[in-house]
Amino acid sequence: MHHVHLDNWSRGASPLHARDPRAKILALLVFLIVLATTPSNAALTLGIDATLLIAGILIAGLPLGNLLLRAMVVLPFSLTFGVISWLAGDRLRALALVEKSYLSAAAVLLIVGTTSLPALLSGLERMGAPRVLVLVAQFIYRYLFVISEQAQHMRLAAASRQGDPRFHRKGRFRAAAGALAVLFARSYYRADGIHRAMLARAFTGRFQLLNSLRFRFSDGVFLLAAAAFLILVRVQ
Amino acid sequence: MHIPDNFLSTPVWASLDAVSIPAVALLARRAGRELDDTRIPLLGVMGAFVFAAQMINFPVGIGTSGHLVGGALLACMLGPAPAALVMTAIIAIQAFVFQDGGVLALGANVFNMAIAGVLAGYLPIHFWGRTKRRKQAIFAGAFLSVMASASLALGELLISGIAMPRPVILLSLALFAMSALIEGAITIAVVEAIEKLNPGLVQKTQPSSGRAIVALSVAAVLLGGVGFLMASSAPDGIQQIGVQLGLAAKTGFHAPLADYAVGYFESSWLRRASAGLAGLLLIYGVCLGAGRWIGRQRSA
Repeated sequence: MHHVHLDNWSRGASPLHARDPRAKILALLVFLIVLATTPSNAALTLGIDATLLIAGILIAGLPLGNLLLRAMVVLPFSLTFGVISWLAGDRLRALALVEKSYLSAAAVLLIVGTTSLPALLSGLERMGAPRVLVLVAQFIYRYLFVISEQAQHMRLAAASRQGDPRFHRKGRFRAAAGALAVLFARSYYRADGIHRAMLARAFTGRFQLLNSLRFRFSDGVFLLAAAAFLILVRVQ
Repeated sequence: MHIPDNFLSTPVWASLDAVSIPAVALLARRAGRELDDTRIPLLGVMGAFVFAAQMINFPVGIGTSGHLVGGALLACMLGPAPAALVMTAIIAIQAFVFQDGGVLALGANVFNMAIAGVLAGYLPIHFWGRTKRRKQAIFAGAFLSVMASASLALGELLISGIAMPRPVILLSLALFAMSALIEGAITIAVVEAIEKLNPGLVQKTQPSSGRAIVALSVAAVLLGGVGFLMASSAPDGIQQIGVQLGLAAKTGFHAPLADYAVGYFESSWLRRASAGLAGLLLIYGVCLGAGRWIGRQRSA
């Protein structure tokens, strides 16, 4: 599954992995903003940004082909709009739409692929994201795959019982609703159990990182260099 | 409908980010006040449930199937502010981990689906959720929730100048209305099934709310309506509005910083970018400061 790759990627050891999540988030924002404000006809700027991105992926030691393949998840959406724009006569914009949204997705993947999600979230929290929101996001990420697996089991069970296509449609609709209700109730009770287990393990209301975040001098240098390079390329 | 990066024009995503950051901060504070820490795992697990619920397909026609979106269901089971918070977290995870929706467009997506979507879905439940029209209220809530977020997304794309021929717009509005009806049917069926399974579960999670949330919900429904009207009127007219709005946003946004030192930059892009950045930093600083201040007030 998608997340397993991301989790494995983010455990690597490269100069990019070692940077503080805050520096990486800010550099990502600079990249995205510069990209978003680049005019559609600035092919050179787009090319340099793409090269920088590929260099980043290689430095981080992430599998280049795999990452570029994964970034294609935006294509169904952007190609649809690209084709519509193309047909409406706005060809330059149609191409830029597809290129730029693809580059943006790849950039996000590079950052998420070099930062574990707990580190990313606590970076966001240090930057002022509300604690409750960060906690909820951490819980969602933790239980996403547990509950999805449960849903998959239920789907498999339902499919093996309802193989007959002549099965009444209304009945199947109600069966799906029932499955969701069961999933809801199970999730609800699971949350109770989780909370008690967490209290038993001395949860203080905040997830702890194994190594606490420190914004080092090198993080500042990385951020400044990345931002200065991107802005200079854009202004040229 | 998660909007990826580079679909919205800069004034659109920047102003929606500027709206969503304080709105999420407000909702998080309210949710934090309504719930104690014991309920936070519940919110997380409910978010994971909404993710997983997309795997269960509902047959809706010949060969097609729909799935739960979940905004109205969450609003009904958890209350508006916690539901909006859970949706925000889901959308952020989808943007970062699954590349479903952009990071700069996060403000827009959060605004459409987590704030407007959840609050519009909550409005009918707030007024009729405890009367005997509860079923219709839930249906209306789910319908409004999907319709409001889809219309807003479409309106934002149109303001940003994405060229879409009229038939495409009308077709997508019709598709949105279809999926909103499906969402209504699914939400009712699931709520009824939960009630049958364990009536206590629904009572335990009765929504509570304040006046501000109701006002915001009305605003969300109205905004959704504006988006719908814009999308269904002539696209030429919309581009005109978009140009005017864009200009208005630009002049309004940069006016306080226009004749500052920012002027010595040669490039007009750099000037605009730094003025915009200064504006965003200002909002960010105010939110951060307000959060600290409120925290200190509460602990004192």
